[in-house]
Amino acid sequence: MNKSMETAEVAKQNRAYAEALAELLYQFADDDFIISFRGSEWLGLAPFIEEDVAFSSITQNTMGHATMFFQLLEELGEGDADALAHARKVDERRSSVYLEKMNGDGHYIEEPDYDWALAVVRNFLYETMKRVKLQAAMKSTYQPLANMATKIIMEQTYHLAHWKLWMEQLLGATDEAKEKLLSRLDEAWEEFGDALSLGPKASDIAKFGILIEEETFKQYWLEEVKKTLPAKYATIPKKSLGNGREGMHGEDLQQAINIFTEVYQIDEQAVW
Amino acid sequence: MSGANEKNFYKEYEVFSKKSNKLPLQHQFSLLAPNKEMALMMAQENFMRREDAIDIWVVAREDIRALTGEEKQVLTKRLDNKDYRNTKGYGYLRKLWREKEEKLKMLDEKEIMSWSEGRKG
Amino acid sequence: MYHYIEGADSIQNVSTDEEKYEHFMQRINNGEKVEANDWMPDDYRTALIRLISMHGVSEIMGALPEKEWTPKAPSLKRKLAIMAKVQDEMGHGQLLLRVAEDLQKPFGTTRKEVMEDLLTGKIKFHNVFHMKTKSWADAAIIAWLVDGAAIITQTNMLNASYGPYQRALQRICAEEVFHAQHGEALVMALANGTKKQREMLQEAFSRWWDSLIMFFGPPSPKVTGSSRQDIMIKYKIRINTNEELRQAFFDKYIPRVKALGLEIPDKTLTFNEDTKEWTYAQPNWDDFKQIINNHGPRSKARLRLREIAHENSRWVRRALAEEEAVV
Repeated sequence: MNKSMETAEVAKQNRAYAEALAELLYQFADDDFIISFRGSEWLGLAPFIEEDVAFSSITQNTMGHATMFFQLLEELGEGDADALAHARKVDERRSSVYLEKMNGDGHYIEEPDYDWALAVVRNFLYETMKRVKLQAAMKSTYQPLANMATKIIMEQTYHLAHWKLWMEQLLGATDEAKEKLLSRLDEAWEEFGDALSLGPKASDIAKFGILIEEETFKQYWLEEVKKTLPAKYATIPKKSLGNGREGMHGEDLQQAINIFTEVYQIDEQAVW
Repeated sequence: MSGANEKNFYKEYEVFSKKSNKLPLQHQFSLLAPNKEMALMMAQENFMRREDAIDIWVVAREDIRALTGEEKQVLTKRLDNKDYRNTKGYGYLRKLWREKEEKLKMLDEKEIMSWSEGRKG
Repeated sequence: MYHYIEGADSIQNVSTDEEKYEHFMQRINNGEKVEANDWMPDDYRTALIRLISMHGVSEIMGALPEKEWTPKAPSLKRKLAIMAKVQDEMGHGQLLLRVAEDLQKPFGTTRKEVMEDLLTGKIKFHNVFHMKTKSWADAAIIAWLVDGAAIITQTNMLNASYGPYQRALQRICAEEVFHAQHGEALVMALANGTKKQREMLQEAFSRWWDSLIMFFGPPSPKVTGSSRQDIMIKYKIRINTNEELRQAFFDKYIPRVKALGLEIPDKTLTFNEDTKEWTYAQPNWDDFKQIINNHGPRSKARLRLREIAHENSRWVRRALAEEEAVV
């Protein structure tokens, strides 16, 4: 049985523990931050107005979660939460490459050729992964993380239910809808893999009881998504876009950074 | 299944919610959704983003029979001669009880509702 | 019960349109609210449909200029707040379109037609949402002053005679209080910020001045050839005229603008202590006409966004347009 770490101060005493913990917190924070950013590009463009409002709540909640994780990192001495969110370079980021992918061709202001099938597939796979990860984090030896996961999971339940409903209804609807979703699912099975990776410190993360074994985590996720998806999706997805957990990212993340730092970089010291 | 007319996507649902255990269900507003599961998924974020809801109902508007404009004019009127239905018609009992026994009072609303606290002592 | 309903029909049959009209006017003059399924004069229904569908699509289109700055919001806190703000605008659009759609029911139209009418220019949207945004300070000015102007016009209708609209406005105005404070927070941060931030704010303010004056519409119908303000007042939908609302906006906001040290682009703006009226330079009302007829700087581009959203997700609406849930 691993010893519980009650505070950041205690965790920092054990360097290996603190490093593994920070690695995991960056994954949580960066994933939520980037998927919320992609969600904010969707504002005003959802299939109908009522959905626009509902989707936006999820996007906001998720940015709220990212903020909470950045604050945990701040407590660990990693730096100011806003700076962590905005000022880190591409290769310092730990988000999954699949989550960074652009919503489609075009720009959110000009000709946004966005695909609702990608939104549904990506968010469903992500929210399922996040749920499994949070459930494991609720039992983390790092007490502040366990407490936060317990809180976050309360409102994350709606997020998963929302995307699961979309997935189920569209898979059961017209051939056109089903084909669009299946094609995005096939793509996800090539690309989603790094979201399920716990990164270079995976073994320490498990050893210290900060989270569970990567393999166990992957299997839990697979069991969950199998309940909703067609039987053919029974394997762990590949990582054809690279592994964001190791700082390997594509151009899409740089595109996102250029947008979300446009105002911030005018004056990083200024109060906005 | 083939694609139906896009118009059928927009079905009207009335949304009701309950803010706390002690309050009755309250009408919120209406929304458009393709089916009741989607309607329920949309309801809270559209109308109760900033307030509590411990229960939510969605009802297809086509299932509601409400009074029409004309019916409202003629079916909601009532003569003011129904004192026998409420306590207003029984105030005279106060005096009659007093004549019988000074300490005994008629059982009024305040008295009866106070029994909810149970028997004391 | 059934017997009574038959009775209701026979009562209605004897009442003429004039009697119905008289009864209707009596009701609204008594402060009663008209509901969607009540009898109403045709010009009342038409005026409401025009007003509320324009108001509704203005909210939907009004989400777009601020949305341009949402993914760019410069801190975690601002990101959360501006997302909530843009969401509210969409939410207001939802409320208002539901009200307008119910009024249009006798004509057999739905949300689908409302969206199409927006794209073809049949339903217009507010002048301010046709304009460009150039910096984060534009998001601040929109949140503070465009919303401020909208709050002035919307609170003026909080007791509107049409019940569903009045109830939607109650909800909307309650949320506008958050918007007003969000706007003040953004503007205050820039006004108290670096030289560069203050310059951004001044530029944005100067850029939006004419649009803000125009927001309330022309002072008299003569200017643009049409105005429905008289019918709105007659039917107790709103209280004040366009000009009165503009004056109210000056009353509330000019002292605040000055306190922040912002320079007002209209050098002729003065307050007459005797008449309690502001005099100001008239904007170019021909430009206003051009703008609201979808010839503004960003009219086409923003309508294009709605068109893409509508077209790209048509398959989703078709897929779920079956009779009942496919779960």
